[in-house]
Amino acid sequence: MSSRILTDFDLLVPETVPEALEMLNRLQDQVTVVSGGTDVLVAMKFGFDTPYGMSLAKLAGLNYLEFDPQQGLRVGARTTITQLLESPEVKQYYPAIWESAVNFATPQIRNTATLVGNLLRASPAGDGSCAVYALGGKLVFSNEAGEREVDIDDLWVGYATTARNKDELATELRIPIPAANSINAFKRMTRVNEDLAKLNVAVNLTMDGNVCTDARVAMGCVAATPVRLRQTEDLLKGAEINEESLKSLMATVSAEITPIDDQRSTAEYRKQVSGVMVKRAIEQARDRVTA
Amino acid sequence: MNKLSVNLRVNGRGYDLEVASNKTLLEVLRDQLNLPDTKYGCGTGECGACTVLIDGEVVNSCLTLAAAADGREIRTAVGLEKNGQLHPVQQAFIEETAVQCGYCIPGMVVKSVGLLEKNPDPSEEEIRHWLEGNICRCTGYEKIVDAVKSASKKMASAEVKAVG
Ligand SMILES: Cc1cc2nc3c(=O)[nH]c(=O)nc-3n(C[C@H](O)[C@H](O)[C@H](O)COP(=O)(O)OP(=O)(O)OC[C@H]3O[C@@H](n4cnc5c(N)ncnc54)[C@H](O)[C@@H]3O)c2cc1C
Ligand code: FES
Ligand code: FES
Repeated sequence: MSSRILTDFDLLVPETVPEALEMLNRLQDQVTVVSGGTDVLVAMKFGFDTPYGMSLAKLAGLNYLEFDPQQGLRVGARTTITQLLESPEVKQYYPAIWESAVNFATPQIRNTATLVGNLLRASPAGDGSCAVYALGGKLVFSNEAGEREVDIDDLWVGYATTARNKDELATELRIPIPAANSINAFKRMTRVNEDLAKLNVAVNLTMDGNVCTDARVAMGCVAATPVRLRQTEDLLKGAEINEESLKSLMATVSAEITPIDDQRSTAEYRKQVSGVMVKRAIEQARDRVTA
Repeated sequence: MNKLSVNLRVNGRGYDLEVASNKTLLEVLRDQLNLPDTKYGCGTGECGACTVLIDGEVVNSCLTLAAAADGREIRTAVGLEKNGQLHPVQQAFIEETAVQCGYCIPGMVVKSVGLLEKNPDPSEEEIRHWLEGNICRCTGYEKIVDAVKSASKKMASAEVKAVG
């Protein structure tokens, strides 16, 4: 076989959350958590190395998806992208998440990759991350002492770096119920479907008729982490959504981002298309409501 | 590096094994169980040559730790035939001449079976979307899509016969 073999590590396979937390408390950053493994096993084949790996494959009871019309959505740490796609509630209330799942990787990867793993990989290109960022939410981290919630706005602290402490396991993602009269959508651009995005965007707008009263706009692949476009959001708040306002919005979007050249696209191209992508995401959300 | 005791059910047969902690399911299938039908293409989840069914779901065995598959039901291409009869999907790949060099085919066949077991009557668009993640360097995919369509029809009429 090729050189793409896994580094040497001792594998821990806890079956309960307390067992996993005890291991994390004992071994701290000596251990790498492997959930779906679709990011971290690839990294380990390219030399990423810790003495221990901890597979969550046998952790019982964390692959749930629960929707409550008052509380919103609770996504267990082991819930896969396929599970999101199969949920009628996700499709109805959180179309941004559903749309991020449709063309996510491949069926094989969707069957193993988790949404929580996507957030914790902290990749600027994460599709699930982008969708959740626009919707807002909180990630629950547990350690032996208890649990805490981290707002998605505070989760990513730098490229591939999160606010997670070494002894913590993420157990659940909580996404609020979308405001009444709100619309949300996700769009991404790739060379072929299986590719990671060269640009992705998610919007979540609260509407009063045709006037936007509140907005969250998230974009990926244009900075070290997924970002919120705060100036664009400010411009949207109070604005009527029409051809003209969408046009002026496009200029703000591209002025607000500072992308780089990489193997999937160039900074210049990303600047060019970013505004159009936001416009199309808003139109997609709006058209879905009127349809 | 530690070793773990696992029980794998592969193509209907149980195996009690010791596996090294960093071994993928693909390596264990090929090197420890001598089941070389599942192929290695990229090792990083992109080509689909290593596709197997775990508890009925398509998965990349190159990105699955063998120890994490303990107790699960695994099916590979060689396990698809029953009583010496090829699976209708395998038969359709032959009849539609969907095979050239053959390297991608075990993965393609397993992937297609994974689709038809969930969605017995997929549209062409659904077939194409589902086959993303399985790369073929030879055929240009047209015949492969035809084979999946034809298998779907055959399986439906076999079902009718069995019921009727
Ligand atoms: C071929 C291929 C195509 C892909 N295409 C896409 C795509 O289209 N869009 C996209 O966004 N991504 C894509 N990815 C990336 C990857 O599949 C996703 O990021 C996936 O969501 C990661 O989830 P996972 O469960 O596999 O995470 P893992 O790889 O298991 O973990 C990712 C990171 O999170 C940590 N972690 C995971 N769960 C926990 C937890 N509960 N507590 C603490 N830490 C945890 C791990 O330690 C690791 O650092 C692709 C990957 C491959 C190989
Ligand atoms: S070898 Fe597993 S996807 Fe290529
Ligand atoms: S037949 Fe040769 S790779 Fe598909």
